[in-house]
Amino acid sequence: MRILLEKLLINYPFFFAIILFVMGAFTVLTRSNLFKKLIGINIMEGGIFLFFVAAGNIKGGAVPILVENNPGMTYINPLTSALMLTGIVVSVSVTAFALALIIRLYKIYGTVDARRIAEMRKEVKERWQE
Amino acid sequence: MKIRNLVFLLIILLAVFTMLLAVAELPPYGSPDNPVHNMVTDRYINKALEETGVNNMVTAVVLDYRAYDTLFETIVLFTAAVAVYVTLKKAKGSESGE
Repeated sequence: MRILLEKLLINYPFFFAIILFVMGAFTVLTRSNLFKKLIGINIMEGGIFLFFVAAGNIKGGAVPILVENNPGMTYINPLTSALMLTGIVVSVSVTAFALALIIRLYKIYGTVDARRIAEMRKEVKERWQE
Repeated sequence: MKIRNLVFLLIILLAVFTMLLAVAELPPYGSPDNPVHNMVTDRYINKALEETGVNNMVTAVVLDYRAYDTLFETIVLFTAAVAVYVTLKKAKGSESGE
């Protein structure tokens, strides 16, 4: 247990990334408001981005932009940052599509509450069976 | 509803513990000897100016070394835009149709 805590202290950015991810997951699971669920998904994505960018970091390293003066500089990993650029694009696309779906659900059901939408669907189904 | 949230909290705490065990096994944060910094990164850092003519290495990776990735990324963005358009347009059409 103590070794675990010491390693966690060394790896503190990953720890915070996990906390962010779990906060998002908990929001998605417990809130019934669809907008809040979407915000939870975005928080989870923030955790993943933090994890990747922290994995590519070097303590004391420079931003990966070449400077002519000092060639012996240690630069941080540019690959993880580039990959997270892709991830941000995907995240924006997912958010936009989810928002469009929520708007459409609101137009049909008059509410953005997932639980109430499920109840209304159940009622409609029972009426059909009668 | 409170019990349901508590069950979710338990599941989440279990997941946190599992992920913390995984994090403890990761290589130390910020060390230059980490396996993330392999020969691919070395090439991006040392040869980027020579091979692409860009000072910013992230730009070199996104727009030159992994240009196909960026191309299909724009396709993802385009698909999302089209999907949003179609979704909202159908909602409008069904309203006027009824």
